[in-house]
Amino acid sequence: MRTGVVVSVLLALALVPLLPGRVHAQFSLDARRIGMAGVSLGRDGSARRYNPAYRAVKNRSGGVGQAKATIPIPLGLITFFQDHPPGKWSSDPMFNPDSTAFNPVELMNLILNPPLYYELKRAPTPTNDVEFTIGKNQLIMNLGNTRVLIPEEKFGLGMNGRLLDLGVSISNFHVGVMGFLHYDVEFALDSALRHVLRDTAAVQPDSSYRILTDAVAQTGFMPSLSFAQRLTHGKPTVPADSLEAADDGIYVGGAVHYYLGATYARGVGPAGFTVGNPIFGATPTVLFDGAVQSSNKPFGKGIGGDVGVAWISGPFEVGLGVNDLGAELTWSDTKIQRIYYDPAGDSLSVTTLQPHAQTKTKLPVSYLANAALRMGTGTTVGADVFNAGRQTSIHVGVEQRWGPFALRGGVARDQRKQMQFGFGGGIRVGAFGIDAGVFTHSNSLSETRAMTLATSISVY
Amino acid sequence: MKFFAVALLAVVAACGQGKAIFNVDAYSFLQGTGKDTIPYNIPPGLSGTASTVQKISLPPGFGSSIVDTVRISSGTANLENAGGTGTIGFQLFFASDSAATYTAPVALNIPATAVNGAQTVAVPITGDLSGVDSLFQHETVYIRIAATATNTGATFVIGNGVLKALVIRIVLQDKVL
Repeated sequence: MRTGVVVSVLLALALVPLLPGRVHAQFSLDARRIGMAGVSLGRDGSARRYNPAYRAVKNRSGGVGQAKATIPIPLGLITFFQDHPPGKWSSDPMFNPDSTAFNPVELMNLILNPPLYYELKRAPTPTNDVEFTIGKNQLIMNLGNTRVLIPEEKFGLGMNGRLLDLGVSISNFHVGVMGFLHYDVEFALDSALRHVLRDTAAVQPDSSYRILTDAVAQTGFMPSLSFAQRLTHGKPTVPADSLEAADDGIYVGGAVHYYLGATYARGVGPAGFTVGNPIFGATPTVLFDGAVQSSNKPFGKGIGGDVGVAWISGPFEVGLGVNDLGAELTWSDTKIQRIYYDPAGDSLSVTTLQPHAQTKTKLPVSYLANAALRMGTGTTVGADVFNAGRQTSIHVGVEQRWGPFALRGGVARDQRKQMQFGFGGGIRVGAFGIDAGVFTHSNSLSETRAMTLATSISVY
Repeated sequence: MKFFAVALLAVVAACGQGKAIFNVDAYSFLQGTGKDTIPYNIPPGLSGTASTVQKISLPPGFGSSIVDTVRISSGTANLENAGGTGTIGFQLFFASDSAATYTAPVALNIPATAVNGAQTVAVPITGDLSGVDSLFQHETVYIRIAATATNTGATFVIGNGVLKALVIRIVLQDKVL
């Protein structure tokens, strides 16, 4: 029990700063999208979720290879369950912190990379020796190969995602419910601590080393009412109802959400230590004084909205959606605690400052900008820029179709500001198609890219 | 200290599978306290032993660890002989408390070095301490350094054994929590 708790805390405190924030934005069940490095050329659920104007745009099923449904082929799960039989997880070093082979980095990488697809190339898991040199006036921490995981600047991760989108459309209106998940974690090592951990510099006497933390996580669902309207129609063409011309026009949309938060927690505070002279002449002073807020009851409430616009002109379309404008949730019953280091007991102490306080949280404004150009001869080029509260990710992809065959490729800049690449292909036979996509990603606690093969079946 | 040490070990656990290596400069804790010097004064034809005991504090949490190896990776003592002829050797004892170091078996034996007249002789102190691995699972270990002198001459063998370096290298398998 103790070990599990400690490991969990370690994962949260020591590893979370290193997490790539790109995971959820790029994760897709569609091998076609993965083969284009994450860009979506179709007017799929992602576009509607983040741009209400797209609710007024017709689906182009069959037009550009957009499927009605996509079913992933989970090749990765087969390998995973062979390596980790579910009945033996309690003794599996992957999941058992009591095992000497347990590696928290490996477990975190598994969480960041759900093993749905087949890993062609795994990112290496840090498995190196960590060396401490301790003397009366000396402390050196050599993290070995793991040093590369210590970021060079302030770091954090965040996501404001919409997990589901259920509802019905009546005329221009859409009534539904969406789930939301927002987290934002920011860590800032001061330069002295970064120097010690990353550069293996010696701890200096009479010095302080600090890390500042601000983390919030909240989730819930939001009943929504949206309205979308086609403002203009394009000029008639011959044939007037051709696929390219049928959707021409400007579309606008808006949505109002009533947020119902299920739970949230927030932690803020500095941590660190101060050493004297000599360093171990006296016990180093631990600096830890944080505040934690956590909801006692669900249903934090708030109102916010989305707006969006899309313009379609023949083979070209562009859209912009802005989400969660003014979204602030009020939590009527929140516990506020102080967690601090108690030098008298040489331990952490927790005191409740307010057992039932009202607090507020905000959802960050996110946006999705997308563009696509159908160039004829079966070629479609697309791009999108997505920001879900933190770093912006950019995807550019292209698909070339020859009859039943398709070839795809793409590049992306992920939230870690690293370039990623994708390629793939597929074949369609009647109402069904099978696609494969290979993509690189940095969704691991490593500086090295991994490569994954995704496969899926499409129903047209 | 406990909290700080646990935080230190947390860094180890966060860095993935591997070994945690602690190079403890034991000499730095002895230096300047007088405990780094063992005086000897042995009459002709006799032998004698003098020793010093030092407490070494280790980070807590080692109790659940698997100690891979413990060794003195580097160490040096100077035999600052003021006069007389004989031999002087060092022996290291480890125990969980101070008194037990006097009854514990020898953990490391440094062969005797000959001294003759006023001179300073450097004696390397290195070696494996695998026989006392389990002691390093505790938060506290006591070390007793004994100098055993034998007088083979006609005058007193007199001088000091002065410790100049002593680094204990403790290698743990990565299970420190």
